[in-house]
Amino acid sequence: MTFDPVPYAASALAGPLLLTLAAFAVLLLPLFFKTLRGTQGLVSLGAVLVTLVFFRAAPPAQLAFFSGALNLSPLSAYLWAFAMGVLALFIALSLARPAAPAEHEGEYYFLASMATIGLMVMMAAGDLFTAFIALELLSLPVYALAGIRRSKPGLEAAYKYFMLGAFGSGMTVLGIAVLNALYPSLDFVSLKAALPAQPLALAGFLLVISGFAFKTALVPFHMWVPDAYEGAPTQVSAFMGAAVKAGGVVLLWRLFSLFDGGPVREIFWWLTVVTAVFANLAALAQNGLKRLLAYSSIAHAGYIAVAFFGGTRGWEAVLYYLPVYAMATIGAFGVTLILERDEKGPKIDDLAGLGRTRPWLAAAMAAFMFSLAGVPPLAGFFAKFYAFAGAVASGYTSLVVIAVLMSAVSIYYYLRVTVVMYMKVPANGEDHPAGAPGLAEALVFLMAAGVLLAGLFSRPLLALAAEAARWF
Amino acid sequence: MELLINPLSLTVLLPAIAGLGIFAIPRDSAAALKGYALAASLAVFAVSLRLWTGFDAAAAVMQFGLDKPWLPSYGIHYALGIDGISLLMILLTTFLVPLSVLASFNYIKESQRAYYACLLFLEAGMVGVFAALDLFVFYLFWEAMLIPMYFLIGIWGGPRRVYAALKFFIYTMAGSVLMLAAILWVVAAHHAAAGAWTFSIPALYAGALTEQAQFWLFAAFALAFAVKVPLFPFHTWLPDAHVEAPTAGSVILAGVLLKMGVYGYLRLAVPLFPQAAVTFAPWLAGLGVVGIIYGSLVAWSQRDMKKMVAYSSVAHLGTVMLGAMAFEPAAVSGAVLQMVNHGLSTGALFLLVGVLYERRHTRLIEDYGGLAKVMPGFAAVFMIVTLSSVGLPGLNGFIGEALVLFGSFRVYPWLASAAVAGVILSAVYMLGMYQQVVFGPLRHTENKILKDLDLREWLYLAPLLVFIVLIGVWPNPFLRRVLPAVDNYITLSRQQPAPPPALVKLALDGEEAR
Repeated sequence: MTFDPVPYAASALAGPLLLTLAAFAVLLLPLFFKTLRGTQGLVSLGAVLVTLVFFRAAPPAQLAFFSGALNLSPLSAYLWAFAMGVLALFIALSLARPAAPAEHEGEYYFLASMATIGLMVMMAAGDLFTAFIALELLSLPVYALAGIRRSKPGLEAAYKYFMLGAFGSGMTVLGIAVLNALYPSLDFVSLKAALPAQPLALAGFLLVISGFAFKTALVPFHMWVPDAYEGAPTQVSAFMGAAVKAGGVVLLWRLFSLFDGGPVREIFWWLTVVTAVFANLAALAQNGLKRLLAYSSIAHAGYIAVAFFGGTRGWEAVLYYLPVYAMATIGAFGVTLILERDEKGPKIDDLAGLGRTRPWLAAAMAAFMFSLAGVPPLAGFFAKFYAFAGAVASGYTSLVVIAVLMSAVSIYYYLRVTVVMYMKVPANGEDHPAGAPGLAEALVFLMAAGVLLAGLFSRPLLALAAEAARWF
Repeated sequence: MELLINPLSLTVLLPAIAGLGIFAIPRDSAAALKGYALAASLAVFAVSLRLWTGFDAAAAVMQFGLDKPWLPSYGIHYALGIDGISLLMILLTTFLVPLSVLASFNYIKESQRAYYACLLFLEAGMVGVFAALDLFVFYLFWEAMLIPMYFLIGIWGGPRRVYAALKFFIYTMAGSVLMLAAILWVVAAHHAAAGAWTFSIPALYAGALTEQAQFWLFAAFALAFAVKVPLFPFHTWLPDAHVEAPTAGSVILAGVLLKMGVYGYLRLAVPLFPQAAVTFAPWLAGLGVVGIIYGSLVAWSQRDMKKMVAYSSVAHLGTVMLGAMAFEPAAVSGAVLQMVNHGLSTGALFLLVGVLYERRHTRLIEDYGGLAKVMPGFAAVFMIVTLSSVGLPGLNGFIGEALVLFGSFRVYPWLASAAVAGVILSAVYMLGMYQQVVFGPLRHTENKILKDLDLREWLYLAPLLVFIVLIGVWPNPFLRRVLPAVDNYITLSRQQPAPPPALVKLALDGEEAR
């Protein structure tokens, strides 16, 4: 099938370009025009929505841009749409409940847009250098976002996240340096062709993989996650869970698929098992809702990693998993945001009586919990099902058995949230005054509708994911 | 629209739609909510009657079939169909739900809208399990049903409801996740051998699996079902769940949910893995008999009526398992009939305990006595139900138990003989309980003013009595519909293993199987 690449490329690249322009506009213009202050969020959201106009069905072909640094294909279109969607939800959440002090609103939306552009580049990156630069473009703004309130928990979160993140980046750079010395080119296609690897190259790959495993939060590279999720503004935690993780997943998956077997696969096997086991056990002991969601996000990184082992089917599953997980996580953080009274967010026990005072909000939260736990008919079950089906078909039954057993463990802590909401009375007579339903509630219900329907009617999303997975 | 025209599919979907529809009614208009829930569940029953009238008793094939592609990339179809066994189970479900709704009118006072919605969603899940002919659809309903049941126990249950609800959910979920892994394995093996993805249960029956694979797969399925039945020693969730659940919850738990476990053996575990089933069958039957004796002895020592009925369920389901694992026409059809009987009589017992509890707020046997004097109608109903539960000839329990014992005696003479002891024990504790509650002097002054059954209570007890007697004297219409399905089950359980499949290679770790 022949088509004219120029208009397609123009429309595909219009999104990030527009986003960049809007980012600088919201950063700079309010400095000069005082009347524009306070509109930054709306402008950013508007920019994201305008990019929708430029969305075209991606032609079934892969186009390399900037000498192979960016590969545009149905895969990148799918992932970019995902990234834009997460950004739109993040901005809307921040509009509903501002996270940043009024004088920093410009920076806040600027940083979020830049991080998203970093994420998009990372998802479409054709070589390791580009991927690394994109990783930094994604990470640095998020460090700043975590501490944007300059309050103690926020700064602590930002500091921890930055220290460990910088460590991870250092490992990635070191790894890339090693690989650069060994291989003529660092783009993924020629890397794959150039393997089998020598021991030094193996070390290089492992360094790179650990760097990205930091972002994806695979155990033992997860240490930053609970503290960062807890201390950062809840909107930012939602962004970390949905977007930053997705970037790490895509890159890890590219690295994983360079290897058909051998020690790297074995190491991935162990990373997956350790992640699934440790995260689920640690989550059992959590009392803070945001910490619980943090450990749950680690656990889900493990389930996604199971899907890596499933070949083509597994890629399809990962692409389906990402939006389904993002909906449940953003929704759950949205509920947290609505209920929170201080920065560290509510304890799980603070949700007591929610089923009585705000039944619809509680029902939405229950839907997110059941979806994350993987109970049918919610979308999370379908996501896990697809993830595990591929791995079993490829012969990794033992991995799946461990994963399903650990997801049975996870039932306990997800159920605990519903127990508290529906079956406990608030300890100090405290209840949740039902404010007038606003944008935050609307977003939560939108996400709840998503997790309810995306599973039973998963055919369209799965078809898109399958088409995108072919272009990996 | 075929989804709503096919009566079977309508029976599955109507309760779910009705459950959503109830949210259109304002939450405080209690009368409208009750009326709506009752009307909806009666409508579902009416629809399911079309399954009974349209069912061809002579045919051994799946009837009312529906097959719609759902998730084509994995070959998942929304495939439904019933044989005689599923027919009886579905009718039992749709029959018990309106009665449970009626029985909840006075008992449930809080969040009524959510309560009736949960009941209706639960009904959709249960019917779906019995109607599914696709493994994925089966698993979906099997697990989805946990959510409404969990809330029924956890929100409207007794004092220890949170513990009981959590235990119920985690036990059953932990039991079934391995089944999910096993389902994926079976399907992947079929894909590796046949080159096509399918979750269709009949298509997987003829699967060519090695003996070792069958062993592990059967074990995974059997564990999930054993928790649900519940077989000794996986029964510990049951007394808690039964005792803490509201009356309607207990009726449905005992009446339908436990049957899903046995149904799982009949429809899936045994026909899918016949070789392994033959190896496991004596052990499962043995556990069933252990359950009969253990359940009876524990029931004997209970002071709480609801607990006693709960443990008697362990015993009754043990009998059913003994029958199902005998692979003998009389025993298996007896087991199926006994599933219905247990649903009717234990359901009625829970309702009767509920009647007392609503009046006196206690379930201890010693708090009653001499009720025959103040509640003659109650005493009469209680008598019939108790006798049905202990298997008095002329009532339904006798037919089922006798068939199971006669049939299984040919296969497992020792086990069947031991099971007879359980039958005797059940008479001892049930009649003992009846005597202490109904006869004797009226020891407690509070009991002197107890009112006899009112119209609403008669309305939900009378239909049960009708069937208790009807099946007792005229079981043929029920057995006739079950027999072809039972023969099928026995044929499938005797399937000769296919020649060792060289093509089916699923490495434990490593490259993709092609």
